[in-house]
Amino acid sequence: MLLVGWEALFFWLLTLAALFAAVFTVSAHNPVHCALFLISTLIATAGLFLLLRAEFVAGAQILVYVGGILVLFLFVLMLVNTRSEVENPFNRQDKVGAFIAVLVGLALLGAVTYTQQRGGFFKTKPSADRLAIENARPDPNAPAGVISADTETLGVTLYTRAVLPFEIASVLLLMAIVGSVLLARDRRQEETYD
Amino acid sequence: MPPFEQLLEWSVKIAVGFIILMTMVAYLSLIERRLLAFIQMRYGPNRVGPFGLFQPIADGLKFIFKEDLIPLDADKFLYVMAPALSLVPALMTFTLIPVGGEVTLPLLDRPIALHITSINVGILAVLAMTGMGVHGIVLAGYASNNKYSLLGGLRSSAQLVSYELAMSLSIIGVLIQAGSLDLVTIVERQGGGWGLGWHVFWFQPLGFFVFLVSMIAETNRAPFDLPEAESELVAGFHTEYSSMKFAMFFIAEYANMVTAAAMATTLFLGGWQGPGVTRWPWLGPVYFLLKVAFFLFLYVWLRASSPRLRYDQLMDFGWKFLLPLALVNVVLSATLALWF
Repeated sequence: MLLVGWEALFFWLLTLAALFAAVFTVSAHNPVHCALFLISTLIATAGLFLLLRAEFVAGAQILVYVGGILVLFLFVLMLVNTRSEVENPFNRQDKVGAFIAVLVGLALLGAVTYTQQRGGFFKTKPSADRLAIENARPDPNAPAGVISADTETLGVTLYTRAVLPFEIASVLLLMAIVGSVLLARDRRQEETYD
Repeated sequence: MPPFEQLLEWSVKIAVGFIILMTMVAYLSLIERRLLAFIQMRYGPNRVGPFGLFQPIADGLKFIFKEDLIPLDADKFLYVMAPALSLVPALMTFTLIPVGGEVTLPLLDRPIALHITSINVGILAVLAMTGMGVHGIVLAGYASNNKYSLLGGLRSSAQLVSYELAMSLSIIGVLIQAGSLDLVTIVERQGGGWGLGWHVFWFQPLGFFVFLVSMIAETNRAPFDLPEAESELVAGFHTEYSSMKFAMFFIAEYANMVTAAAMATTLFLGGWQGPGVTRWPWLGPVYFLLKVAFFLFLYVWLRASSPRLRYDQLMDFGWKFLLPLALVNVVLSATLALWF
């Protein structure tokens, strides 16, 4: 869909904010500052979701990432001693890392251009409702402050067509939780604790 | 509605809401001190004006004239940002809370809804903003470069993340029953039945209990005020703050209390619903205010009468008691939703 007027302005503002904050996330010296730039990126991305009329995703993004995960990041950063990081934030892998980052970035850019021109990687014929979603445009005459029915759509999709990926993601997260507990506490520690 | 008129309506509503909220915060501090004094059988501040009613103004002036200190090794930018980061989300949350139904004003040809804005993911937005407010406290603890502040910040980050889970889960039951994330719809569904339609009676008493406890923990109030436990951490995350920066934390805390009380009212006590509200819409805000006042009284009462939890007890209580209880409530609500 094409963005015009205020939406285009906000799109560019938020995109630039997200990109610059992302760059600062990796280049800032103080790890706490890095985390804060990451928060800025996430909030700008949430703004982009809002522009796409996906209020639920935007809200969930801020609630989960900014209000939950990043607080835990900051918790850990404040708990551990990060002085060596502040003095010397880059290690000898920085050049390789930059190279790989540029490669991935180019690949993504290529993928976006390719899909835009050819209409998809796998060239499956898009179904009717899929097309309807893609061609949906916000009503330009809609009054300000009126919000789309995005939440209902998302909920229905999540529990009908996207059940399997959803469940796989949940199981993956559960495994990660169990794994992290196992790694953090071995049997000996458990026995001394008891 | 022309865009200009819409913009004007929003601006007026925001200004009125801001003034009311600030007045409530100022007088909440006075009422708290007077109530604490009453409970502890002493007078409390009663010298400035009749019954000490001008005390908040005197306090405000005192804050302005106090010296504004920034510690030498503090992270200056974050140190200055932190109070704003905790105050702004506290104020933003209030834009979504409906304090009444639609009323007619003289000189206006259309009804005015008594909420600043209403979006279809209202609850989610409120929770998201509450979550953002945590960062102010955490960063204040970090930026002050002081061990007590840092400990306060660490404690609050762990505490708020833990209790946010229980709080969000306790709301799910309400969502299942109301079938909407929009706060206005949720209030409207609770109407009728002489208050029996309120979620606190209509199958959500468990959710109400979990929400009430975690809301007190989320606002850092006694008996969960570990982040600023004065007997062990001097003043916790705002140890180094003085003057208006301290005042901003103070206002944020009280604004958060008002918002949490308003959310509890909206979600569980039927918001502005009450007898006669359909006939006289201006009764809505009155009922709303009364219900909010009940919760605010509860806050002060708890502070006066309960000892502070130990930190590990706090974590145990949150993770091993409240969270399972909230999960049980989700399952129960979903099962009940099949029949009703």
